[in-house]
Amino acid sequence: MGVPDIKDKLNLYGLCFASRLLLGTSRYESPRQLVDAIRAADPAMLTVSLRRQLPGRKDAGQAFWNLLRETNRTILPNTAGCQTAREAVSTACVARELFETSLIKLEVIGDEVNLQPDPFELVEAASELIKLGFKVLPYCTEDWVVCKRLIDVGCEVLMPWAAPIGTGQGPRNASALRELRQRAPHIPLIIDAGIGLPSHACQVMEWGFDGVLLNTAVSRAIHPVEMASAFAGAVRAGRSAFLAGPMTVQQLAVPSTPELGRPFSADSPESNQFLCVPRQQPA
Amino acid sequence: MSIIVNGDTQPLPEPQTLAALLILLSPPTPFAVVRNEEFIPRSAYAECCIYPGDRIEIVHPSVGG
Repeated sequence: MGVPDIKDKLNLYGLCFASRLLLGTSRYESPRQLVDAIRAADPAMLTVSLRRQLPGRKDAGQAFWNLLRETNRTILPNTAGCQTAREAVSTACVARELFETSLIKLEVIGDEVNLQPDPFELVEAASELIKLGFKVLPYCTEDWVVCKRLIDVGCEVLMPWAAPIGTGQGPRNASALRELRQRAPHIPLIIDAGIGLPSHACQVMEWGFDGVLLNTAVSRAIHPVEMASAFAGAVRAGRSAFLAGPMTVQQLAVPSTPELGRPFSADSPESNQFLCVPRQQPA
Repeated sequence: MSIIVNGDTQPLPEPQTLAALLILLSPPTPFAVVRNEEFIPRSAYAECCIYPGDRIEIVHPSVGG
């Protein structure tokens, strides 16, 4: 633990970032709003996906690609929607060529109701992708054994959820998340999914998490650009607080104002010597 | 013969390679191709043969979380 430092950087697979916020690009009202939100959030990375072009929107992919290039941000493609390791590995290979990056946000969904990751397929996919030279950022839960398996197969970053994707509930299992932080002190941990408020982001950063990945909390706010700015401030505040070292929580009240030296107390003048400035005697 | 491109059946003179098909379709760049659920890298377009009933997916950058 250090002191708050302007040189404090997020390091993911050897890539250094001044920002600890990762931003999704989905569900904005317009490309203009997305660009403005990116400017306000100042994210380290932008998450993207790959899809068929919708009929009647032949050039949408090209326009989005140009928008991404103009933001000059690191691109993090995802494997959203994949349900098997095989499907996720294939999607990652397509993404590597399409986006010209070996970074991949690995999502392998095991339950369609809460979009919870499938731990078995996830570890298998991560293992295969690491062998293929990918830099894998797996979307996982706070389950320590699964996280350990992901580290064992070569993942240098983990992205545990706070709550199911798009719910905005904030950290549902605080004690398990904090335990994960303690068990993997040297692995960058980015909270991905389930964040709804800047206070949630600030909270997990105070716990020592290395970053936060957001999408819906920004894009579905009433004013997404203003919310992007609020999240940027919250992530910075939480990180600074973590580095500054929070006080130890006490069970009993401890007065913050000195007890000694109250003008109407029975304290002796001798006991007040550090608290009361002695009057100068007239010469 | 006919093939399926992004879910739509399309007539196609035969025989064809993927490279020839892509010249015909001229999708906006950038794109990547999946044939029968297998990723075909750009370097393999010229020698990748297309057969009747093949399912071709042409994908583009899209928004994501």
